[in-house]
Amino acid sequence: MAADEAAWSVTDVEAVDGIRFAWNVWPSSKVEATRMVVDHSCMYTPLKETGCPVLEYEPVVCRSGECRGILNPFCQIDTRNKRWVCPFCFGRNAFPQHYESISETSLPAELFPSYTTIEYTLRKTAPVPPIFLLVVDTAIHPEEIQSLKESLILSLSLLPENSLVGLITFGKHVAVHELGFGECAKSHIFRGDRDVSPNDVGVALSILAPAAPGKAGSAGASHRQRQILPGGPGKFLLPLSECDLTLTSILEELEKDPWPVPSGKRAIRAGGVALSVAASLLEVCYPATGARIMSFIGGPPTIGPGKVLSDDLEETIRAHHDLEKGSVPHFKPAVAFYEALASRLVANGHVLDMFACSGNQTGVLEVISAVNKTGGLLVLADSFTTSMFRESFKRCFARDEAGDLKMAFSATLEVQTTREFKVAGAIGPLSSLGKKSSCVAETSIGVGETSAWRLNGLIPQTSVALYFEVVNSGAPIPAGQQGLLQLTTIYRHASGVYRLRVTTVARSWADPKAEPGLIIDGFDQEAATVIMARKAVFKAEAEGSFDVIRWLDRMLIRLVAKFGDYQADSPSSLTLPPGFAMYPQFMFHLRRSQFLQVFNSSPDETAFYRHTLYRENVLNSLIMIQPSLVAYGFDAEPTPVLLDAASILPDRILLLDTFFFVLIFAGETIAAWKKEGYQELPEYESFKTLLQTPRDDALLILKDRWPVPRYIECDQYSSPARILYSKVDPSVTHNNMGEYGQEGGGQVILTDDVSLRVFMDHLASLAVSSQ
Amino acid sequence: MAFVMDWVYGALSFLGLYQKSAKILFLGLDNAGKTTLLHMLKDDRMAIHQPTIHPTMEELNIGNIKFRTFDLGGHTQARRVWQDYFTTVDAVVFLVDASAAWRFEESATELQSLLGSDELADVPFLILGNKVDIPEAVSDEELRFQLGLSGLTTGQDGGDLGGVRPIEVFMCSVKMRQGYGAGFNWLANYLS
Repeated sequence: MAADEAAWSVTDVEAVDGIRFAWNVWPSSKVEATRMVVDHSCMYTPLKETGCPVLEYEPVVCRSGECRGILNPFCQIDTRNKRWVCPFCFGRNAFPQHYESISETSLPAELFPSYTTIEYTLRKTAPVPPIFLLVVDTAIHPEEIQSLKESLILSLSLLPENSLVGLITFGKHVAVHELGFGECAKSHIFRGDRDVSPNDVGVALSILAPAAPGKAGSAGASHRQRQILPGGPGKFLLPLSECDLTLTSILEELEKDPWPVPSGKRAIRAGGVALSVAASLLEVCYPATGARIMSFIGGPPTIGPGKVLSDDLEETIRAHHDLEKGSVPHFKPAVAFYEALASRLVANGHVLDMFACSGNQTGVLEVISAVNKTGGLLVLADSFTTSMFRESFKRCFARDEAGDLKMAFSATLEVQTTREFKVAGAIGPLSSLGKKSSCVAETSIGVGETSAWRLNGLIPQTSVALYFEVVNSGAPIPAGQQGLLQLTTIYRHASGVYRLRVTTVARSWADPKAEPGLIIDGFDQEAATVIMARKAVFKAEAEGSFDVIRWLDRMLIRLVAKFGDYQADSPSSLTLPPGFAMYPQFMFHLRRSQFLQVFNSSPDETAFYRHTLYRENVLNSLIMIQPSLVAYGFDAEPTPVLLDAASILPDRILLLDTFFFVLIFAGETIAAWKKEGYQELPEYESFKTLLQTPRDDALLILKDRWPVPRYIECDQYSSPARILYSKVDPSVTHNNMGEYGQEGGGQVILTDDVSLRVFMDHLASLAVSSQ
Repeated sequence: MAFVMDWVYGALSFLGLYQKSAKILFLGLDNAGKTTLLHMLKDDRMAIHQPTIHPTMEELNIGNIKFRTFDLGGHTQARRVWQDYFTTVDAVVFLVDASAAWRFEESATELQSLLGSDELADVPFLILGNKVDIPEAVSDEELRFQLGLSGLTTGQDGGDLGGVRPIEVFMCSVKMRQGYGAGFNWLANYLS
């Protein structure tokens, strides 16, 4: 067993199960677990494209008490008596009738040892196809409208034919368009300056029967008790195949909101009410089904509930320091409004996607909770004309091999643990289901106090960080015994069927005191970095970034002090186990990253970056934290190089991937040759190839990335080169070098920020300190 | 809080802006050093920042002074944004990278268009020729000529101009912490 574990590669496990633990050998007592600094935790990607088998039947579920453990390869089975033991509650279950023929040599797929992740097709199917409700801001520049409507019309060809679609446009007022009315364009207008209840929306649109006059109590009846009029929903949400032409012609004729904008004022934009009306329309017509509100926003709401600022240009949109001072009058009411919207969406299984495209902020920060809690998608770009928007929007509708949309709806994720540990919480694009099972820990990390969460919308890379608490405080767990974690995701596949994916994984327990080596060897520094990053960002949103950086530093010092090898008070004696070697460097870059440093980012940008970190898998998150850098030269194959100023050399091309930016950077000499046009000369064919190779590699990144990053080519000393200079370890600066650095010593970075080396020196002296 | 008060006093008195109240826009092409200057005013530290998605960059408030930076040039979307801020501005600080001769023409075009805009008609303009620490940086006179300002500036003494819009060029190096202090002190004469 031990040999097997040593041979494990965390990425192999990830490929099969979509899971990565910070610790692959679990600390066997509560006290020891708290001393490990990094939580017992994992990153899980519920829809990871693992190629796992999809069974055409329902799973066998433990029926003992409240336990809903699912039959899995780690269960003890008794083929003679046709029974199995649930490893979570030790309840004994009889196999169902149709498992009659089970024997040692004839096992159902879910018991095969290699099928630790498997999917079942449930009998339940969705009553309606997926719904896409487009909410379009028209208080934007005509050029922006033009580009946006081209994208919207194009998207109609990407949606499944049977999906239901609807359209709401807004400027000063909110218009709900009737798509079942072919003769001419017809829409229902709502005032943008006050909120309307779902009930009023239903009645105004003749979807719900109006309250019968004089009948006591009925006026106060909620929309749930009201009768839906026949044909009501069908006026506004229609199968694409039926309304394609009508919708296309309405979109083609979209124009800028005609309401005039006087000088000294900004556009009046009822963004808050528009989203509320959209949520109400879905809530009234299709509660508790998979639906997406896809909103296209070109500026901040300036009227009605949810407004972010007034229409007076004297008032400028809030910056980070305004928020820190608490001097933003509209902020709290707006956040409260969108929080309430989020709760409605969450409860109905609906998703809010936002494409915020504007040169200035649009109020993403205020609305972000509704996007995050519903598993919505967010794209932030400076214009609807950019490929960041156009391509990213198109790729939302990516299909799988069977031709179904890759996006999934209405998912729940549930955790089962064996008795030695419990789940403390989750951080990701989710919300709590408030399930108080016996697996819920006392402490809470992120969204806690539950063992199940909703993910209304998810895409293949959507990943959840799960945090656990070891609760074993009695007798030590015998060496070699394993703990089990089972993750059950029920989701609505785009084809309309519900599926259940179950991942069951086992890991050994070890006593960190008796067998520190086992624990150390099981550390996954990449997963640990991402898990810590999510926790740090979650804390930063609650407490402010400054304190979080100090918290991260304290955690790092404690981790190094615990797992490093050193003599007390001798920093130079410090060595880290190989599996920990990169971790301090990851933390160094995390401290410097846009997730925790907010200077020069707008609050909307910060919200966008943090949202993306909350969604992505380990690999992508790691690129965001510590961008990758690859060097191209004449003398060698492309090689990854250190993210360090010293890696910037005149005769090299560098390819930087920060996840949000992909940058090709030509060193000074290469740039000069390029300017001379050597690549055009037949005798310099190899130079032409050298220029082309990084471009080909960049294209590969751009092809798979969502949202589509910005792609930039630049030369050393040019303005966009700052993207690279701001990311590299400033090992060479104007403070430690002359004006032009030293020979062959890399690019001088004009910064007073500390270098990795200085950081590491401080870390070493604090970690080994006996004080 | 004493530290904060001292810092506000220190930063503003150095710039001559103590007890002044104003909204100041930092304008200029990308890479002119606007954000670096802003960060220097904020923390007295050099730092490099990646360009933002929004051309509206961080705002900084010290005492009653609000600083805000914008990238000029390039795309028209950005122009739509910063024009929104013109109505309330009290002064413009226009930064030019004095070492990037190949971009002088682009800078001059932007500067002339700003000087000609109605919304900014009476607003004082401080032009900072940044990065004089780099050997390629041109001289004060050369920069004035390249930007089309020869004979149009109103003098570094900061005296009363009797209603003429104040315009002046100061050379500086944000990195060396030199020159911009004198520029802001000049500008302070025209702020209330």
